[in-house]
This record gives sequence, C-alpha cells and structure tokens, in this order.
Amino acid sequence: MELRERLAFTPERIEEAVQRLREEGLLAEGVVVSTCNRTELYGLRGTAPVEGDPLQALAAFVADFHGVPRGEVEAAGFRHMGADAVRHLFRVASGLESLALGEHQILGQVREAFRFASNAGLTRNVLNRLFQKALEAGKRVRNETSLNSRPISIPGVAIELAQKIYEDLAPRRFLILGAGETSSIFYDLLLARGAKHIEVVNRTFERAQALCARGGQAYPWEELAARLPKADVVVSATASTEPVIRKDEVHRAVAQRRGQPLFFLDLGIPRNVDPQVGDLDNAFLYAVDDLQEIAERNRQERQREIVPAMAILEEELEDFLAWFGSLAVVPTITALRRKFEAIRAAEFDAALEKLSHIPPQDRERIRLMAQSMVRSLLRRPTEALKEEKDPALRLERAEAAKFLFDLDPDGKA
Amino acid sequence: MVVSLLLSGLALLLYLGAEAFSIAHLRREKAAHGIAAKVMLGTGFLVHFLALEIGGRITHTVPYRDWSASMSLFAWMVAGSYGILRLRHRESSTGPFLLPVAILFLAVSLATQPAHPLPPDPRLTGSEFAFHVTLAILGYAAFTLSFVLAQLYLIQLHQLHKRKIGLLFSRLPALDVLSRMHHTSIGIGVVSIGVATILGFIRADTNWATVWDPKVFVTLLLIAVYVLCLLAGRLFSWSGRRIAWLSIGGYFLMLFSYTIVNLFITQEHVFR
Repeated sequence: MELRERLAFTPERIEEAVQRLREEGLLAEGVVVSTCNRTELYGLRGTAPVEGDPLQALAAFVADFHGVPRGEVEAAGFRHMGADAVRHLFRVASGLESLALGEHQILGQVREAFRFASNAGLTRNVLNRLFQKALEAGKRVRNETSLNSRPISIPGVAIELAQKIYEDLAPRRFLILGAGETSSIFYDLLLARGAKHIEVVNRTFERAQALCARGGQAYPWEELAARLPKADVVVSATASTEPVIRKDEVHRAVAQRRGQPLFFLDLGIPRNVDPQVGDLDNAFLYAVDDLQEIAERNRQERQREIVPAMAILEEELEDFLAWFGSLAVVPTITALRRKFEAIRAAEFDAALEKLSHIPPQDRERIRLMAQSMVRSLLRRPTEALKEEKDPALRLERAEAAKFLFDLDPDGKA
Repeated sequence: MVVSLLLSGLALLLYLGAEAFSIAHLRREKAAHGIAAKVMLGTGFLVHFLALEIGGRITHTVPYRDWSASMSLFAWMVAGSYGILRLRHRESSTGPFLLPVAILFLAVSLATQPAHPLPPDPRLTGSEFAFHVTLAILGYAAFTLSFVLAQLYLIQLHQLHKRKIGLLFSRLPALDVLSRMHHTSIGIGVVSIGVATILGFIRADTNWATVWDPKVFVTLLLIAVYVLCLLAGRLFSWSGRRIAWLSIGGYFLMLFSYTIVNLFITQEHVFR
C-alpha cells in the first residue's frame, strides 16, 4: 500500500513524466492510469536507442521520478510488452484486474486518464486508437456479460436488497441503531444514495448527534420503540451482546405501518435483532452472515463470467492488432502512392507540352482522369497490404511491392 | 374477414416478437432489446386494433358475438392494459410474464375462428350493451394481469424471505413497484367492471323481469373482493402477501363467474 502511494501520479506529475519520457526518447506517446489501487504507464516506444530491456529502462525512470529505489519498483511491479500490454489494458478497462472483480468505476478512470493525456497532447495515433479500443472493450464486457450485474460488497448487497423492497430509497426513512464504525459507513452510504430521512438512535446520545452532523436526526435510546414503526429500513450495528429488537416490538410496529414492509439489516455481531423477526409478515431480516453469503455467491457468479469476458477481449485485441500491424506497411503504401503520383505528373506534363492546342478546361479533365486512374490502379494493392491479417505475409507483400516498384519508404522524395 | 384474420396473425407475430425481446431484455438488460419490445408491442397493439375494427365493421358489432372474437378483444385489452402499466410505472421487466396472456388468448382466438360469422342477435345490440360487454372484458383483462402480478409479488416475496437471491430476483421489480402495478391493474378492473355493472343494471331494468340475477350477485362480490384488495393495506394494515392471496382468490371467483355461473347458474345472462 505504501509503495503504491509513493508511486501515484498527480495530473501535473503525469504531464511532467510523459514529457520527460518523450524528450529522452524513451516514449513517443504515453498515458498514465493512476488510481487508488494501481499506477500503470502505457507507452509507445520512442526513437532513442535503449541498451537492454526497454521496459526495465521505463521502470528505472518511474523509480527515479518518484525517488523510490529501483529494486522496490522492480520487485513489486509488472511489465508487459506488445500484445500482452494491450490485453492487460483491456482487462483493466473491463474490471478483470480490479480487486473487486468486474467493478465498473475503473472504466471511467481509464477514460479520464486517456482524456487527460489526449488533452495534454501526450497521445497520438497509436495510443488514441488503443485507448478507444480499450474503452469499447470495457463497455462490451459490461453490456454483454453479467460480470458487473450483482454487488459483491456487504454494503452493496444490503442496498440491493433494500431496493428490492423499496425501489427508490431516497424518500424512505432509515433508522440506524448504533453510532460506531459500521453505522458510520452506512450513514455515509445512505447520504451518498440521496437518503433524505436518516435517524440515528444510540445509547450514548452525544455520539448519535455527532454522527448526524451532516444530516439526519439523533434520538436517545429510549425513543427506539417509538421510532421503529416510522422506519422503512432499520440498520442495526450496536455492540450489544443481546438482541435489542424483539419480535413482539416488531410485530406491534408492523401493525401500525398500514401494510408497508419493514426491512432489517442486522450488522451486529452477535445479532442485534431477534432472528424470529424474519418470520413475521411484512418484516424482512438479513444478518451479516446472509449478506456475506450473497456477496460470496455473487462473487462466484462473476468468476463464471470471466471466460465470456475474455472472449470479447480477445476479439477486440485481434481487431486492434490487425490495425496496428497495418501501420508497418503504411510507409510502403505512402511510397507507392508517391511513386505513382510522380509518374503521373511527369507523363502528364510531357503530354501537355505536345498538346498545347487543348483548351484549359479539357486539360483539367485529362488531369483529373489521370489522377482517377492512379487511384484505381492503387486501390487493390493498398487493400492487399493493409488488410492482410497475417503479419508475416503482410511484410512479405510490402517487400515485394518495394522490389517491384523500386520503392524507398524511408526516402524523402 | 380475410384482412382482419391476416392482421390478427400479424399482431400475434408482433406480440411474440415483443415477448422475445422482453425475455432478452430481462436476461441482459440491453436498452436496445427494451426499445424493440416496446416498439413491437405498440405496433402489435395498433395492428390488433385494426383487425378488430375491420372485423367489427363487417359484423356491425363490438367483437363479442362469438368465442373467437371475444378472445381476440380480451387479448387486445390485456395488451393495452399491460401497455398502460408499463407506461404508468416505467417498468418493463414484468413483460415476459404478462405478455404471454395476450399471446395465448389471441392464439386461441385465431385457432377457433368460426367458418362464418354469427348473424347479429337483436338482444345484443345498442350502445350501452356494447359498452357493458367491452368494459366487462376490459375488467377481466385487468384482473388477469393483477392475477399474474400477484404471483410475481409472491415469488419476489418468497425469494426475499428465503434468501434466494438469483437472476430472477435481481431482474424482477421491487416489492413496492409490483404492489403499485398490482393496485393499478385492480383499479382499472374495478372501475371497468363497476361501470359495466351499472350499464348492465340500466339495460336489465328495462329488459329483464328482475335485475337480481345470480351473475349480478357474483359480480358484486367480485367487486367487493377487489375493492378490499385496494383498501386492506391502508385500513387494516394487511400485508402485501395477504392482499396478493386475496387477489388470487378474486381471480378464481372471476373464473367461477365466467364459467360455472355463466353456464349453469344464471337465468338471465344466457345469450346462446
């Protein structure tokens, strides 16, 4: 955790780091994905000759940049190159590399990282395409699999359950019993979910008041029985060793609720709510064990979705690599076009010298016709070079084109 | 009649398409599937209306003269009531469970088409009679939907109590949404049957020896049961489970009224 914090990039530091990497020729383009859980540097190799492993040079740069011993970064980090690096980014974007498997916030974080790098001019053709593909892949995984459809955290499961009783939680009345850490977590969660009516009951009234500092109403413990019929959801997390809510109390509360259900989340260990409450009509009781069991089941469901998710990522990977591979033949295609265009221009000028009697508009027509012919002639060879999926065959074709037309892809002319 | 039949067949296909997309949407929650289901249901509803309209113009009546026509009208009412529920509650995940009712009845209607339309019955004419029957069928359609919704409510309730937290649990709406949909469909049914009964009283008063036919008693009892469903939660703090069971009981009373009472008990409600 500590190392991750030391290696984290602020936006200003990202720009500075990538600019330096570009100046040193280590990278031509770069994006840094820096979240609370990961710091990853994606780059396209620059023009500078690097002795040894270029990835090691990058790791050394990152270590030096943050003032962290190189050995620590070497030991804790990981490196990927080529297709593996692309696959890794796709896995990250789709949540397969997240601690909470399949969580979708990472897609937004990757999008933000890319947007920042793009706005700062740190990306060009290749990383633009790569990150767009990664975002597409992440979206596809989210839409086409159930990887993210069920919550896997205890609070997430609790909220999902509550929303299966009351779809809209915002106008519902929440009663929190206890003012400890768990109560505080749920208080924050409910506020974040837009809950407007939160009541806290605690044996130490001052602690209930302190918890309600950002909203809600604190009540002394003696008010519990009176508050119970008014609540829609009761979150109980007291340190009591005996149940603080008994079946007969709930029975009376439910009878006053005009048919409205009452949902209990018993997060106390040992239990705060009499287990028999769950047998009552219109009362629902879930304890920590139940929530854990559901979370575990959801986790297993997510595990089963990894295979279909990977199939989607491999499709996207193949697509990206085909495009990336086609970049290798771009100089050859450019040289080919240049050559044909030069021939056309020379022949056209020579012919026009001999045909000086032709009016200007007809000359223009002839020029356009010649250009069109060149385009038509080049269409098929261009496609053959670009669209070939086999990289070896693609390079072979590029070499053949160079030989047949005497091309110099690196030449200026 | 051929055009009406063809349009009914097309409506059936569109309802089937809507059902398929509703199931796909339930499984994957892809917005495109939801939109496709909505468009197909809406188009099917309009095409079905055209089929009924053309059929009605030929027979010069609301289509209730024979079994097949009344089944088709019933299916159309079910599709329409479902459409209202869907729009009113912005809830589409019940589609796979509610649409099959419309599909089933339309399919039965198509399979039991009479060779020739029955000649008009002079006892069954007049606008108040047409409204009486149409509203009664709408009421039955709405109660049919409430019957399915009550079962969905009980399923969701069972899953919550027994902690069966699977795909169906996550896809079905929340209990309060199901409860509101259930209330809406019962509300449509109660108003429709209520107005139909009043119209029936008006007509019976002038045509029957007495308005107090057993069918009327059963219908009033049916209305009472469903009104209790609407009010029991507020008045007596009845749980959703108890109301759902009462609604299911009401539906069986409706079936009893539609079959046993119509065939064997009623003295005046016989139009064969």
